[in-house]
Amino acid sequence: MTTVAHRRDPRTEWIIRNRLHPQHEALFASQNGPVRGPTGLIRKNPHNVGFIGPNGLKRIDRLEGNSSNVISINRQVRQVIEPEKPLHKVEQPDFHILVVPDLAGGRLTEQDKDVLGQAHTLANVEGSKGAVVAVIFGEHRETGLDQAGVDRLIHLEGSDYEDYCPELKLAALATIEQQLSPKHWLFPDSIHGGADLGSRLAATLGERPAVQAWQVNNQQATCRAASDSIDINRETPKILLLAEECADAVDETRHEVLPVTVDELIGTQTTLTDHGFMAVDPNSIPLAEAEFILAAGNGVSNWDLFHEAAEQLGATEGASRVAVDNGHMPRFRQVGATGTWVTASVYLAVGISGAIQHMQGIGQCQTVIAINTDANCDMVKRANLSVIGDSEEVLKELLLLIKEYREALSHAA
Amino acid sequence: MQPDLKLVSLLSTGRHPKSGRACRANQDSRALELAMKTSSQVTAVHAGNPDNNVLRQYAGMGLKKIAVLDLPETADPTQSLKHYLDEQSPDIVLTGVRAEDGESSGMLPYLLSEKLGWAMVPRIAEIQSIENGKAKVLQALPRGQRRLIEVDLPFIASVDNSAAEPRQSAFGPASRATIETISTEIFTDEALAGWQLSAARKRPKRLKIAKAKTAADRFKAATAKSQSKGGTLIKDKPASEQAKAIFDLLVTESVIKQP
Amino acid sequence: MALEWLHPVLIAAVLVLAAIGAVRRVNLWRQGQKEPVDIVGGLLAMPGRYMKDLHDVVERDKYMSKTHVATGGGFVLSMVLIVLVHGLGVDSKLLGWALLASLAMMFTGAVFVYLRRRNPPSRLSKGPWMRLPKSLLSFAGAFFILTLPLAGVLPEGTGGWLLTLVLTVLVIYGLSEMLLGMTWGGPMKHAFAGALHLAFHRRPERFGGGRSTGLKPIDLGQPVLGVQKPSDFKWNQLLGFDACVQCGRCEAVCPAFAAGQPLNPKKLIQDMVVGFAGGTDSHYAGSPYPGIDIGSASGGPHQPITEGLVTPDTLWSCTTCRACVEECPMMIEHVDAIVDMRRFMTLEKGSTPGKGAEVLENLIATDNPNGFAPASRSNWAADQNLNLMSEVKEAEVLFWVSDGAFDMRSQRIIRAFVKLLKAANVDVAILGNEEQDSGDLARRLGDDATFQQLARNNIATLSQYRFKKIVTTDPHAYHCLKNEYGDFGGNYEVFHHTTYLNELVQQDRLKFDQFQGGKVTYHDPCYLGRYNGEYEAPRELLRSLGIEIAEMERSGFRSRCCGGGGGAPVTDIPGEQRIADMRMEDVIATDAELVAVGCQQCTAMLEGVVEPRPEVKDISEILIDVLIEEVH
Repeated sequence: MTTVAHRRDPRTEWIIRNRLHPQHEALFASQNGPVRGPTGLIRKNPHNVGFIGPNGLKRIDRLEGNSSNVISINRQVRQVIEPEKPLHKVEQPDFHILVVPDLAGGRLTEQDKDVLGQAHTLANVEGSKGAVVAVIFGEHRETGLDQAGVDRLIHLEGSDYEDYCPELKLAALATIEQQLSPKHWLFPDSIHGGADLGSRLAATLGERPAVQAWQVNNQQATCRAASDSIDINRETPKILLLAEECADAVDETRHEVLPVTVDELIGTQTTLTDHGFMAVDPNSIPLAEAEFILAAGNGVSNWDLFHEAAEQLGATEGASRVAVDNGHMPRFRQVGATGTWVTASVYLAVGISGAIQHMQGIGQCQTVIAINTDANCDMVKRANLSVIGDSEEVLKELLLLIKEYREALSHAA
Repeated sequence: MQPDLKLVSLLSTGRHPKSGRACRANQDSRALELAMKTSSQVTAVHAGNPDNNVLRQYAGMGLKKIAVLDLPETADPTQSLKHYLDEQSPDIVLTGVRAEDGESSGMLPYLLSEKLGWAMVPRIAEIQSIENGKAKVLQALPRGQRRLIEVDLPFIASVDNSAAEPRQSAFGPASRATIETISTEIFTDEALAGWQLSAARKRPKRLKIAKAKTAADRFKAATAKSQSKGGTLIKDKPASEQAKAIFDLLVTESVIKQP
Repeated sequence: MALEWLHPVLIAAVLVLAAIGAVRRVNLWRQGQKEPVDIVGGLLAMPGRYMKDLHDVVERDKYMSKTHVATGGGFVLSMVLIVLVHGLGVDSKLLGWALLASLAMMFTGAVFVYLRRRNPPSRLSKGPWMRLPKSLLSFAGAFFILTLPLAGVLPEGTGGWLLTLVLTVLVIYGLSEMLLGMTWGGPMKHAFAGALHLAFHRRPERFGGGRSTGLKPIDLGQPVLGVQKPSDFKWNQLLGFDACVQCGRCEAVCPAFAAGQPLNPKKLIQDMVVGFAGGTDSHYAGSPYPGIDIGSASGGPHQPITEGLVTPDTLWSCTTCRACVEECPMMIEHVDAIVDMRRFMTLEKGSTPGKGAEVLENLIATDNPNGFAPASRSNWAADQNLNLMSEVKEAEVLFWVSDGAFDMRSQRIIRAFVKLLKAANVDVAILGNEEQDSGDLARRLGDDATFQQLARNNIATLSQYRFKKIVTTDPHAYHCLKNEYGDFGGNYEVFHHTTYLNELVQQDRLKFDQFQGGKVTYHDPCYLGRYNGEYEAPRELLRSLGIEIAEMERSGFRSRCCGGGGGAPVTDIPGEQRIADMRMEDVIATDAELVAVGCQQCTAMLEGVVEPRPEVKDISEILIDVLIEEVH
């Protein structure tokens, strides 16, 4: 961009004169390279700094392009290259901090990352250095273990670990305990298995764990107790079950993820057998827990179609107060401040205009889709996707699409 | 219903989330409900103060009797309960996942399972069947999902919030039930003395951390309006097109399950 | 006339049989629980109660009241004279003429009964009641003819065998209907049981213009709480059930019946009779519980009522609006009976339906039905600069806020009322977080234990402070504080806010502009009107704004419930339509644009009706719009 113009280009000159021209800024910068004064020092022309903002005022960007989101007048998308983070190395660890992440869905959860972050605060002791060792069972899809702070990795592979097998996992952890005798064991205190496994290990090792710990350092652990009404301050124990957001996740460094091998595991007697997931009728899922809700309001006239749509979509049925009052839906299906507060990730509202109580009740839903005849109703304003039209027709079309989709899938299979 | 099955339900004092008053614990009462539905031979046990009024609330669910291991608050109940369960030798012991008062570590069922050498199933929602010394139980998973687990009798299970609602506690039976006090050896919880208890401090809500190198960027991140982009509105299009848009979104959100 | 001996013997025999029947009937009632009554005083008061209180209710239907006076009065007089003239053979022309006159009166009445029964409204029971005009006519007619010779109109011995035979048959028919039916269980049973019911009524305060609407507390130490079996009722409650004339006035006004919920107060009372007398309801000839066929219910005095006789849904459909009690000419206490049975369901069986169990648990754990944190009760008053009783210890007026404090809509009413109080410079204070639910909901849901607990707590709180009167915007709390706390030692001077505001207006402490707006109607809340007799103050207030109230067809003591009382919105028993919708139709029929209400529950229920509909506002909200604020 610093090519010197050998020939005069009247257009460029015009653009440079015209501060309102969209290309003015870019050209201006390119043409005004460093100017050396008579003493040979680089001179700055104070009138040349800055650019004209969209409202015609002169703006000075003192970041000189260092800002992460550079304001560019010509809206060129510049690729911001993340600088590579420094690698955190632990050559000869003085002790080990073991972390058993949940890896719900095969990936580190936010809580897992926080626990790893916590592990690093515990590994950082004056005068000695610990390594954070993650224990992972079975297959996973996580690619960012290095970014999350895993110094060492114990990956226990094998299809045995795919099912619910707390006894097998416990046996593995007990072996690791013997081999590494870690300083701490860290578990996420979660419903994804962390609390279960951590409690089992604590019971086996005869350790008293800190549970729902949310503020931990090498001396003290603060734990929530009695339904979050009190804090217990205690010496930091060996086993910690950590609450959500217990510490900040690692994000300044990369880590080695060096594999560690474990001794042969001795076969364990198990008393639990996993028979897999049960097919759950979406309508038997409590409304508050349901992930996908198809809700009906006053605008629904064809109820058979609505129920069929819910069944085909695999959605849990919900309803507005009016639909319940009119007897189309049972009372326990009512969504809203006066009914159930829902947490669905997708809420598909058919013919619900959205009374304030109803909107309150769906406040936690991630994605709201509205099918309505009134484009000005509150539900449409809230919805991520709104379809204005006859709900019956749209539902019928939706049913057709599902059928096609299912057929295509079964053919592919 | 397996009338010949012997169940023990462990009861603790709950704490009402809004008023903080002592009341039936949510999970414990669900556990008791599950026990009463499973068998007619249910023993309800509480380790603590026999004069605790909350026990009456449990009794109101239809218990004739509640056994209370008379223990002070500073005692560790696991040993006493272990002895009691050894004597009773039940087939199934049900507890809540986590107590609503006290340390609420949720360790009790694990410790009992370790001491007794029984299996422990966490967070069950239902006991489906019991045959040939094996029970099939449904474990509650997030989002209303269920896992079927087979477990050998005798076992301990903690009962999840998504188990069936406990029946109403009625005043009449509650006031007439007998509270049977059992004196037992007291094992003092030594660790407790070293702990400091305080009212829960407010935890700072984690803000979206603005990873910015400069003050200006941080300022911008802190003051930027939330991106309320407003949803997509599809109007005056054929129904098929509208349905397609919805369907695509449902697929992206991966809520459409395979049959 | 032949067979002179026959009729005296007949009369005597029937009287003896009737007496045996009476003893039997009395024994049926005595299966109930003990309840002390003033026997002599009650019997002495009975004629007065009949003439005044009962007649006042019957008088609402002029046709029926005149008919009843003629028939009933004629019969009582005739019966006395028949015993004298025909039974004991007192030979007196004067008596003969008197008897003829009274029989003629009875006959005339019976003719009107007959006319009424030709095309009876659906609320009347049919069956045996349809033969009543015939038996009345035969009785009056036959004795009339028999008496003619005694009065000297016809010579002695007129008529032959045939006439005698015909007359004898009619006499037997008439006598058995009138006397045997009275005690052995025909339509005339109402006369016998009704008279005794008036004498031994469980709420004698109701007579002579009094009012007794507070529920009676139960002893929580009893082996069985509430009414499980018919024999668990007090004996005079059973007597009351027997007094029913099946006129169906209760059925005609019952909001639950109209909404198609499975409740019919008349059938319920008849089922109670079936219960304590034993048998089935197959003889019942009136309207059924909506959606439940007749003939399947059976019971006995010691059989649980909800197992075969009455479904729990029937008991839970009641809104405790007291319309049936208000309309009942026999002064039967339906609501008491329903709540007694609910008490068993809740306190013993733990089967309060719908959200009932949750609500009761909340009341125990948080002192309010919706489970809000008790410490947030006075949050609404943060910007109101109101005195707290705990700080000032003394005030002229204690404003009882009630659970509306938690509800955003009700807070508008409460704030409006506070503004009015301030405009009138009233020395007012609130209890703030010390206040607890009045216990109304718990009590109507049958949980008297929780009610008593809440009442005792509130009374203990109130006893710490000095105030002249309690004023509340909630008629339900008003009723509890005024009529039900007395049993636990809490006696206060309690006012509904409309009454109190009206007083302030009369004293010129509040000034208002004229109301500018459309037509206005007023909905009487049950717990203000029927429970406490306050119909005038709200109307006077509205009139003081220059509003001419477009009254609904059912207003005043006949006001239709909004459907929000008695825990009905909590138990939520399904029907064909919603009571609130029906009430809104009443409102719409007046062409009103605004319905004025004096109860936050009514406001909530009526505003729950789908728009478009007339606007719903509490009277204090209407007043605040036209308040002339003086600068002090």
